[in-house]
Amino acid sequence: MTSATTAHSVVEPSTTTRRFAGTLVVLYAIITMIPLVWIMLTAFKSPDDAISYPPKVMFKPSLEGFCNLFTTRSRQTPEFIRSLGPPQGLCDDIARSRNMVVAGPSNYVPRFVNSLIIAFGSTVLAVALGTLSAYGFSRFRVPLKDDLLFFILSTRMMPPIAVAIPIYLMYRTIGLSDTRLGMILLYTSVNVSLAVWLLKGFIDEIPREYEEAAMIDGYTRFQAFVKVVLPQATTGIAATAIFCLIFAWNEYAFAVLLTSGNAQTAPPFIPIIIGEGGQDWPAVAAGTTLFLVPIVVFTVLLRKHLLRGITFGAVRK
Amino acid sequence: MNELSASSRITYRAVMVRPGVARRIRGLSDRTLAWLFITPTIVLLLAINIFPLLWTIYLSFTNYRANRANVPTIWLGADWYQSILTDPDIWAAMQVTAHFVIWTVVIETVLGFGLAYLIDKKFRGHGMWTTIILLPMMLSPAVVGNFWTFLYQPQIGLFNYVVAFFTGRAASSFQMLGDVTLSPWAIVIVDAWMWTPYVMLICLAGLRSIPDYIYEAAEVDRASKWRQFWSITLPMALPFIMLAVLFRGIENFKMFDMVNLLTGGGPGSTTEVASITLKRAAFESWRTGYSSAFAIILFVTVFGLANIYVKALNKVKSR
Amino acid sequence: MSIDATPSIARRGLADRLLRRGPLEAIATTIIAVGVVMLMQPLSLTLYSWSFATTLFGTVMFTIVSKVRE
Repeated sequence: MTSATTAHSVVEPSTTTRRFAGTLVVLYAIITMIPLVWIMLTAFKSPDDAISYPPKVMFKPSLEGFCNLFTTRSRQTPEFIRSLGPPQGLCDDIARSRNMVVAGPSNYVPRFVNSLIIAFGSTVLAVALGTLSAYGFSRFRVPLKDDLLFFILSTRMMPPIAVAIPIYLMYRTIGLSDTRLGMILLYTSVNVSLAVWLLKGFIDEIPREYEEAAMIDGYTRFQAFVKVVLPQATTGIAATAIFCLIFAWNEYAFAVLLTSGNAQTAPPFIPIIIGEGGQDWPAVAAGTTLFLVPIVVFTVLLRKHLLRGITFGAVRK
Repeated sequence: MNELSASSRITYRAVMVRPGVARRIRGLSDRTLAWLFITPTIVLLLAINIFPLLWTIYLSFTNYRANRANVPTIWLGADWYQSILTDPDIWAAMQVTAHFVIWTVVIETVLGFGLAYLIDKKFRGHGMWTTIILLPMMLSPAVVGNFWTFLYQPQIGLFNYVVAFFTGRAASSFQMLGDVTLSPWAIVIVDAWMWTPYVMLICLAGLRSIPDYIYEAAEVDRASKWRQFWSITLPMALPFIMLAVLFRGIENFKMFDMVNLLTGGGPGSTTEVASITLKRAAFESWRTGYSSAFAIILFVTVFGLANIYVKALNKVKSR
Repeated sequence: MSIDATPSIARRGLADRLLRRGPLEAIATTIIAVGVVMLMQPLSLTLYSWSFATTLFGTVMFTIVSKVRE
């Protein structure tokens, strides 16, 4: 890969070419953003605005979608509602204007918490295991190294449904079905392959001389790993962790097939948010928005390492 | 700062020490440590991936059904494989998959390479716009599939409105997800929207890996821009394009989440890609043995392609 | 300083390996690709029926061929 001079020095594109290229790319970027922006706008619409024709770009912002996302409501007669005390909070107020009362919290928060626990749990495990193995593969002569590395990568390539069949049976036998621990282990096994490959790339870039010198200073190999290599690999470990986090956060196939209530994460839950008479689009959009915002933030943080992440550390720019 | 100076001091000392001593200190526990470091990962993968895989292979030769665990299991040999590989319905599902894979890969490659080529012109602000373009591929395919069903709604959806606006047809006159001819394209559009950035990013790396001096030499030889594109840019970026094509091909061959939420395989079975057929057999009709055999067929295909992918990966790595 | 073999030997080994492995790997790759095309082509049910065997053969061959070192 070229490192220093990427600009075509003699063959610089002309200003006109640049402007033309820039315009096209910006146009594409805007078109590609429209669906995302539309969902975020829908989250702040009232149900009537969300399904109006023609679609409304200008509308009066409403928090009804978020209220419907977080609560369950029941329809009551106007007499009954009048007999109640003053509304408690904004959501109660909105619900009462539609002849409903808030019956309780919805399942969104527990599902979101499940997503958090499973994503963070599996990320910590995968990165810990991955760092150790990556160091082992990077520094030691391991028999069948290439085969082991390929084996590790190939586990990530397996079709999720094909894996889910035996995992379903296995978890049912040992009592891990629909548990967070089961999902954490499963996601760890998928993520660890990415972690090993990515981190091996990062650790390969740390000069061996550092640890060797530290060992001459009296460190054992393990101490050198902890005190010299780990601090140097911090950026790589952080980038890998974010990749693992995003995968576990986004995963759907295993979640929908192997969990039903207890350990269900947000992705299988969001599509089944149903209001009265079909899908409650503002609530779905609100759930989607809350779910996607962390990813958007992480993507921006990760932009320098994206290329590495999607090529298992092979292309380093 | 402190760490930096410490490590540079250490490096300095390393140079001073005789190699023999270093080897003796190192040699002590490296072998043990290597196994200690690698074993946990291997054990986890054996337990969660390889053991289940072997179990699937065993089940694929039996009549086992997950919802009737008490029925005695009978060894059937290769019966399931034979019935799957002669079943016109499964063959049809493979063709649906082929339509999806081929068109998504073609569209993503053309658009992705085009975008990369434009971004490589380094206009002002290209870094920021690149990050924006990359966003869709980081999102959850399931959630993306779900919110596209909203955009595809015949009367209220934005997609239908925009198409109606430009073509003059009524927005409610066509259903992207309910129509037999349109729904295979509906899933292609969403996948292209989501994964074009992926191909773009890899192609961009390919374009940036071409050293300037080659273009400079071509310029000296008075080669036209058109000629330069076909004999320098494209051939040198080709390994990267191949890498992206292979990976998208593999991923879309086993596509499940996005299609499941967009159409669930319908209408009828017009968008029933292989993974959805498999899911229906395994988790709806509970034909575990049969679906295990199908899973193995898909798995071997993916595994074969993964071999080629890793070969392509190494080719790019050596650049 | 490294634990692995010295770079010069590694480079020569790689060249050797490519010379012998290259064509065999290319054949295996082609067989896998043909198998995948057979699996998804719309023309002949017979070809579809034999696709799995072809892919399996190509994959096994690839795995064996990649073991051919010196």
